[in-house]
Amino acid sequence: MNDSQPIETATTSIQMPSGAPDAKTRRYDRQLRLWAASGQAALESARILVIPATATTTSILKNLVLPGLGHFTLMDDKVVNGADAGNNFFLDGFKSIGKFRAQEAVNGLMEMNDGVEGVADVRNIQEVLETDKGWLKTFDVVVAHNVDSVILDDLAALLWPDTYLVVVNSAGFLADFSIHYREHQVIESHAETSPSLRIDQAFPALLQYAMSLPLDTMDITDHAHIPYPVILVRALEEWRREREQGASIRLLLSGPSSGRGVPRTTAERKAFKERIRAMMRKFDEENFEEAEAQAFKCWTPTVIPSEVRELFNLHLSSTSSSTTFSSLVSALSQFSQNNPASPQYTSGLLPLTPSLPDMKSSTEEYVKLQKLFRAQSDKEKQVFKEYLSRAQVDVNDATIDQFLKNSHALKVLKGREWKEINPGAKELLAGKLSTHTKETATHLALAAIRKLRAKSVIPSLEHVSSPNDTAMTDILDKDKLKDLLTAEAKSFLPPGVELPEAEWPVASGEVARAPSADLPTTAAFLGGLVAQEVIKMITKQYIPISAGNAASAANDQLGICVVDLVETWTGIL
Amino acid sequence: MSTAAGRTKHAEAILGPELHTRLSLTKVLVVGAGGIGCELLKTLVLTGFTQITLLDLDTIDLSNLNRQFLFRTKDVKKPKSITAARAASSFNPNVKIDPIFGNIKDEEYDIDWFKGFGVVLNALDNLDARRHVNRMCMAAGVPLVESGTAGYLGQVQPLVKDATECFDCIPKPTPKSFPVCTIRSTPSQPIHCIVWSKSYLMGQLFGRDEDAGETSELDEAENNGENVEEIANLRKEAQSFSRVRAAIRSYSPNSTSTADQNNDPAKLAFQKIFSADIQNLLNMGDMWKHREPPVPLDYDQIISGTSILDRQGSSKAKEERNRINGASSLNGTGNKKTAEKVVMKDQRKLTLKENLMLFNTSVQSLSMRLSTSQVQTIEFDKDDEDTLDFVTAASNLRSAAYGIEGKSKWEVKEMAGNIIPAIATTNAIIAGLIVLQALNLLRASPSARPSPSEPVNAATATPSSSSTVASSASADYSLLRNVHIQLKPSVPLSSVTCSSPNPNCGVCRDVYTLVRCDRTQTTLRDVVQGVLGWTSRQSQNREGANENGQSQNGNRNENENGSNDDDDKVNEGSERKEISVYEDKRILVDPDWDDNLDRTLDSLNVGRGKFISIVDEEGDWETVQVVIGELPASHPSTASPYILPCPLPKLVKRKKIKPLVPSVPSTPPPRLSLKRSLPTDADDGDVMIIDGHNGNGRTRDGDGEGQRALKKPRLGAYDSQRDAKTTTPTMDLTSPNKRKRLEEDGLVLMDGPGEVDEFEEDVIVIDDD
Repeated sequence: MNDSQPIETATTSIQMPSGAPDAKTRRYDRQLRLWAASGQAALESARILVIPATATTTSILKNLVLPGLGHFTLMDDKVVNGADAGNNFFLDGFKSIGKFRAQEAVNGLMEMNDGVEGVADVRNIQEVLETDKGWLKTFDVVVAHNVDSVILDDLAALLWPDTYLVVVNSAGFLADFSIHYREHQVIESHAETSPSLRIDQAFPALLQYAMSLPLDTMDITDHAHIPYPVILVRALEEWRREREQGASIRLLLSGPSSGRGVPRTTAERKAFKERIRAMMRKFDEENFEEAEAQAFKCWTPTVIPSEVRELFNLHLSSTSSSTTFSSLVSALSQFSQNNPASPQYTSGLLPLTPSLPDMKSSTEEYVKLQKLFRAQSDKEKQVFKEYLSRAQVDVNDATIDQFLKNSHALKVLKGREWKEINPGAKELLAGKLSTHTKETATHLALAAIRKLRAKSVIPSLEHVSSPNDTAMTDILDKDKLKDLLTAEAKSFLPPGVELPEAEWPVASGEVARAPSADLPTTAAFLGGLVAQEVIKMITKQYIPISAGNAASAANDQLGICVVDLVETWTGIL
Repeated sequence: MSTAAGRTKHAEAILGPELHTRLSLTKVLVVGAGGIGCELLKTLVLTGFTQITLLDLDTIDLSNLNRQFLFRTKDVKKPKSITAARAASSFNPNVKIDPIFGNIKDEEYDIDWFKGFGVVLNALDNLDARRHVNRMCMAAGVPLVESGTAGYLGQVQPLVKDATECFDCIPKPTPKSFPVCTIRSTPSQPIHCIVWSKSYLMGQLFGRDEDAGETSELDEAENNGENVEEIANLRKEAQSFSRVRAAIRSYSPNSTSTADQNNDPAKLAFQKIFSADIQNLLNMGDMWKHREPPVPLDYDQIISGTSILDRQGSSKAKEERNRINGASSLNGTGNKKTAEKVVMKDQRKLTLKENLMLFNTSVQSLSMRLSTSQVQTIEFDKDDEDTLDFVTAASNLRSAAYGIEGKSKWEVKEMAGNIIPAIATTNAIIAGLIVLQALNLLRASPSARPSPSEPVNAATATPSSSSTVASSASADYSLLRNVHIQLKPSVPLSSVTCSSPNPNCGVCRDVYTLVRCDRTQTTLRDVVQGVLGWTSRQSQNREGANENGQSQNGNRNENENGSNDDDDKVNEGSERKEISVYEDKRILVDPDWDDNLDRTLDSLNVGRGKFISIVDEEGDWETVQVVIGELPASHPSTASPYILPCPLPKLVKRKKIKPLVPSVPSTPPPRLSLKRSLPTDADDGDVMIIDGHNGNGRTRDGDGEGQRALKKPRLGAYDSQRDAKTTTPTMDLTSPNKRKRLEEDGLVLMDGPGEVDEFEEDVIVIDDD
């Protein structure tokens, strides 16, 4: 069975449908149902670097190797000791003791999926940072777990902003992690919202069609098959005319309405629903029942979602629109300001999506409506393409279609640089301490222990043979370490700001108890959580958890995910 | 300890030596060795648990390998439990993993067996097994950690009897169900055609001769006032399958004679199902007055490409027909610029002709298997390509006839196989959380001794006294959390403290007790009256019990240690009440009908591990559940054939809570019926509901038929066939209200047609296989 067949071969070769699908499709069946072939292709071409080979990083890697990551390099210059053998499932037990951790772990990981390329690198990361900078930048994602501050700072500076850097810190039951990038764009956000049908701002052909139906005289069967959007557009236009002109529209004396205004008060809305009910010619016309149920679509204004609007501001302010994505956003922004294909409502709309939801209707009526939507959608796409062509970037049709289909749910996230959140600006942290007390306390405790190592108050991880080396507990007793942590944490805050009385002793106590013990349960949990986020980064699908909105440049989201498995909670700072 | 010294360093440092030591003394049962199970096993072993029993009934499939990381390609088709245990054991030889390749519902995994564990961890993929394990754990008083994942979502829930909710405290959503006539005559959605192919047609062609079951289902429908003409028609349709069945079973691929070709099972089946049967349906003019009639398919026209399906249809149908008549839109990818749009070949929708070809080849392969091998029947299995091809082709052909949108094989697999997306990451998170909750359970009861090394003896048969982590009265469960992984980017994990038991729960509010007995010698009366402490009066009054009376008393003396008299008197003092006795869904005794009391358990088909439920008709007591156990090997053959629990279970006053639904007199207490209203097999995602009304709600018309149906509660026979099978032949059906109760047991009540739509909505069952 060949599992390493490239996804293109597996997916594009169309044959007679009989016979078994190839091994690869079957192997990845359950995940393809989440992120589809496009996500799988992205995953299979991704290259990631992981430092070093701990229980946590191998757990992360396990969850990337299983779904079929393209390539990983595991960098670690240490050899396996007893504690490693006991808590890292992917080492070969005691047989691995004395051998390179990276190599032993890669061997274990590679057993799971021969479609993945895995390389052990036994160089010291500090040396590589000096001698092989260019190579470090060839990865799409770099994951660093409990890496000493000094090295991490250099690595983060080198990788910013083009390579995703994932920093994971854990101590016993506590952990935090953050992902560093300048901007992360999500077109396929798998949002649960669907695009607007524009009932309140019907396009001309739809309005005209809705008004042209002889509701009172048409065949009764046809009447029972008018799709609900048509009914709603008709009812709303009649309501508007009546309100503006005071005339009975049934007499057809009046001209078109201004196209503005919707039922607002509860009474108006109730009356509007009764109006729809009154349009029924038989008591049980289900299409009218559906229209009544969907009447809220009349007074739910068709607007550009705030996140998309903010995205426009962001991209307008940045002068360079050289990338495909920014050209698309720019064209979308121009479209939203002037859409000549919709003369009555030229601004404030996103291009119409041709897809319609299912509804009670006959095929003929449904197809008729679909044709109207498709024609309008094509017109608007042309407008969009016109705007896009000014950017002089070559974008193919498939990308445009995908972008337009998801345009109502576009996401752009802005990340922060590592140095910005290690540990974070004093005032910001003071504020967070009052709004997110326990999350901030945990973050401060983990940052403090890093600082102590950087200052060589306690041995750096680089110099102890295992993450929980007895050397450390010999040097410091728990209470002394707690005091040191408190002093460090206070130095992260503006003078006079106190650490929280209840939360700080808990967090610092837990860190002092096990400054960097790599506990299997925590490793399993982090392995899942971090790998999930890495997959989101690589596939550019779904919304990552540490989401800061690019648009709100002023937002105070640090983008740190804090994990406390004593009390079993996670939080975002 | 030389090399091992470092091994447990992390865990020991963080858990503390006391808790860490207890890990190795705690026997853990892991139910399920799938996505969660593999992760769980790894994390348990690394954390320091050393006595693990791993049970799974499944074998490894290729589609497991994207997350079930203990398995390799070479392991495909091997038992999951054994393979996983071997892989995880090699990590640490000090860990004892005991794999069981079996079904958790088998009778050997009884209460005693469950009591042998300190904690049970569920890693299951179906509702039925989850509910079973929950009940066993509640009965045995063993704490349970329940879990499940679906795509990016997941959940962990610690369950401790009397301290937290149990799994059944919150009713679970029922799987989708459809009215029979919607499935059989008037489909309007792709899923209707898929259910028809998978559950009905597969059985008719390749299953057992189902005439019996078929007839009873339709009888039921007729009794419920469904369209008589339609039922008669369906009956005729079912009978005429015999010729096709014969052709299938005598199929030989190599014959070329005309006679044999006329006997081609695929063509015969096609012509019956998609031409003759549909033609028959069309003759029922009334049915199509307000509904789009289907169009019979013409085999030869489709083959020659001249079939024109052109008529009105329901939503999208015309477009669908246009598409299906033409070449598949994706066939032309060569000249289209869709390079970036990668489409899996299984994700392509087939043309009408392609569906027909697929129908032919799949019927032929399935026929081959029936005619040449020892196999008597073939059932649908989403991983069996032939059956999946068959269901894909048959449902698409039916959809074409009814003007319903077709589905790709990829989609059909998901819909017919109840496939739930699954990835390694979510399972890893969940496994970490399960072990954390298990640690919290251990931590909660520092005084409890670890799980007993042998099954408890009769003296400690009352579950609440068994020695598990749940037993300590002073246990502190404040650290326990129900944890959900959710899609909210800002709150990836939601965790809430555990709720108290639902006072109306029909599982964990019951009182559980154990009676060990020789089932061929012990009567139902022995058990029921013995457990209720009614024995003394009974033995005077009833002849039948005399022979047991003596030894029974002796038996009591044997067990009593003097301190339990008070408990005994509590029940003795309580007046005798009107009771009913059930075994699962079967009623064995009710106040007006006690003929079964003097029959032996064996003759009533009450086997080992079964529960006998004693229900107070007035609803003052909580139900007493008596678990039937085996006599210990050491039990002298001359002694009483049964051992009553000692002390006898205390009857617990039911907390009076206003029932949400007013209970109907002379039916079982609401809780019992609430519990039973849940279908018991989650894998049958497509329960058929017998419907008093034709169709799907869309076609309700003003003729009054629908109005009547609205007022009449409709009885949907959930799985009437199965009930008929499992009902023991020894049962007496003469009790006046008995038949009625039997009918109500396992029936799904629906209030009116309006609810059908709700039923059709997607139900999320969190699963992972």
